Amino acid sequence: MSNLSEDIKELVIFRLESLHSNKKISIGSHGEFSKEELIEHVRKGDDIGKKIADIEMEFLRALKEGIVS
Amino acid sequence: MTELLITRPEHDDTTHYLSNWSKEIIDIAENKNIKVFDINREKAIKKNVELRLNKMSCDLTFFNGHGDFNVIGGHNNEPLIIGGENEGLLKSKIVYAISCKSAKELGPKSVKAGAISYTGFDDDFIFVYEPEKISRPLNDNTAKLFLEPSQLFMKSLIKGNSVREGVDKTKKLLADNFLKALNDNDRDSAKYLWWDLKHFVSHGDVDAKLQ
Repeated sequence: MSNLSEDIKELVIFRLESLHSNKKISIGSHGEFSKEELIEHVRKGDDIGKKIADIEMEFLRALKEGIVS
Repeated sequence: MTELLITRPEHDDTTHYLSNWSKEIIDIAENKNIKVFDINREKAIKKNVELRLNKMSCDLTFFNGHGDFNVIGGHNNEPLIIGGENEGLLKSKIVYAISCKSAKELGPKSVKAGAISYTGFDDDFIFVYEPEKISRPLNDNTAKLFLEPSQLFMKSLIKGNSVREGVDKTKKLLADNFLKALNDNDRDSAKYLWWDLKHFVSHGDVDAKLQ
């Protein structure tokens, strides 16, 4: 994925806000992340932030295409 | 006698969860009279894995750990299998790697080098967990949504099903858990289950099964 636009960052961060604070995400070889850490990576637009945005956008596309309802 | 090699590094939260969730596979295999070589924690290094793969006729290899497109990692992410270097060690074996992304490049390379099949994830394997359950990972119902399907592939093979049947069962449970998460309004788990479902792949002879 190319550089994250500010619109995409805003959307992804908004959706990450729903993650419970008592949960963490293991993202393969990248490591384990809390909600706050994920949001920070998205803000920076680094590789982990791009990965999170990629996952989010893929899920939203699936919702839009009706693959998941 | 059928042989199973399993690697279980435990140097961080992710490997700690994978290792603990795969313990059941050892019990199930031993109950089926499969000889299990369990390479756990700091023993999960390249030297030990190469030694064991060179010595054994092992039919089935199950790697847990971090990885990359061309690598399966062990203790402290030491590379155990590296495409272009030692994937030939997987010759004549059914391989399952919960080692992120490795099914993308190392999988096809291993099959080309003679592995019967290579199943795993062609991008990052992602799971959600509850850090407060770190000392009792099997009681973590959030992680269970992800790790129960990931173990099902091995259970299916040990029961005598083919690789294809194992993949189908695993994908079905991932899909069921995805729908369950959506119904429970747990969209965070749902989106990562969707990701894992899309990236679970198999290469090689998918009709193969344990003899």
